[in-house]
Amino acid sequence: MNTTPSRWQYFVSGIIKENPVLILMIGLCPTLATSVSARDALGMAAAASFVLIGSNVVVSAIRKVVPSSVRIPIFIIVISTFVTIIDYVLQAYQPAMYRVLGVFVPLIVVNCIILGRAEAFAYGHGVFDSLLDALGKSVGYALVMLVMGSLREIFAAGTWFGQAVTPAWFRASPMLFMIFPPGAFFLIGILKALVNRLTIRA
Amino acid sequence: MVQSKAWMIVSLVLTCIVAAFALAEVYAVTRPTIERQAADALRASLAEVLPAASTFTEFEPGTVWSGHDASGARVGIVFKTQPRGYGGPITVVVGLDTAGIITGLGVGTDMKETPGLGLKARENWFRDQFKGRPADQVRLKRDNGTLDAISAATITSRAVTDGVRQGMEKHLHYLRP
Repeated sequence: MNTTPSRWQYFVSGIIKENPVLILMIGLCPTLATSVSARDALGMAAAASFVLIGSNVVVSAIRKVVPSSVRIPIFIIVISTFVTIIDYVLQAYQPAMYRVLGVFVPLIVVNCIILGRAEAFAYGHGVFDSLLDALGKSVGYALVMLVMGSLREIFAAGTWFGQAVTPAWFRASPMLFMIFPPGAFFLIGILKALVNRLTIRA
Repeated sequence: MVQSKAWMIVSLVLTCIVAAFALAEVYAVTRPTIERQAADALRASLAEVLPAASTFTEFEPGTVWSGHDASGARVGIVFKTQPRGYGGPITVVVGLDTAGIITGLGVGTDMKETPGLGLKARENWFRDQFKGRPADQVRLKRDNGTLDAISAATITSRAVTDGVRQGMEKHLHYLRP
């Protein structure tokens, strides 16, 4: 891996090395709550990515005029504005997805990946670098969501994106617990262990 | 200047003003579409449970509708009821023909029942069981009736079943001339 920090690294690092969920361990709650099926998980990842990219760019653009004492309220206003925009847009143009995601769209406001990146990265970096950071973290988040949602849907319902992918006998009595919170914790633990195995070199 | 107390207040106010204008603009652009989507979704959910009707008029805002066919003759009513399930209210839409027999049952997508258990109340086989039944035949096998429940716990099934039966008893008078 390239050891000299380059701008490309801001993007690439978000995918595995600084994966928001599996390495930084932030934004776990919405990850566990909305990854019940592959489609729901990807829809959530897309909505959260829009907010993350928008808020990182805006926070970075205004960072020089934002007093540090009120930066958190300002970040939250910026984030919740983007969340409300995606909420309206989904309601108007993607009503089917909006019905599936429901209450989790407004809850993107409290997804700490977004506030975390605003505070830890965008407030101290330029607009282009913050955009790269947001894109990388979005890809990393979407990957985890896709893996979690796919595995939970396959184990708990025997389907993937709504299509049957397992034998009928499995779908008759699937591993229902995977769709419940314990299944999510179980899976995130396994994923974390796998990522540790890949990233921590003895 | 950036760290002064005055700018602290001004910057917050400015952020709020810009955010408010941005949201007002997005709201104005998306609102007609959102309202149309909601109206379409409502009409589709009514037509699904009372297929014989082509137009609907409201009896009670948001809860009871009268269905009419193309000639304007009344073919039945649709009512909405919200029985309490395991995770909160479940929106159930029921179509009745003029004899008070169920023509269709819709279960809302907004419910918070357990995925894999209560959420199965949306599946066709469960909803289709209700078709062709008068109010006194809407009862689960567990409750000495003939309807199959969706899971052994029957919390959601019973909520839907009891909600439909009580709703029918409550709304049948709308069918009288």
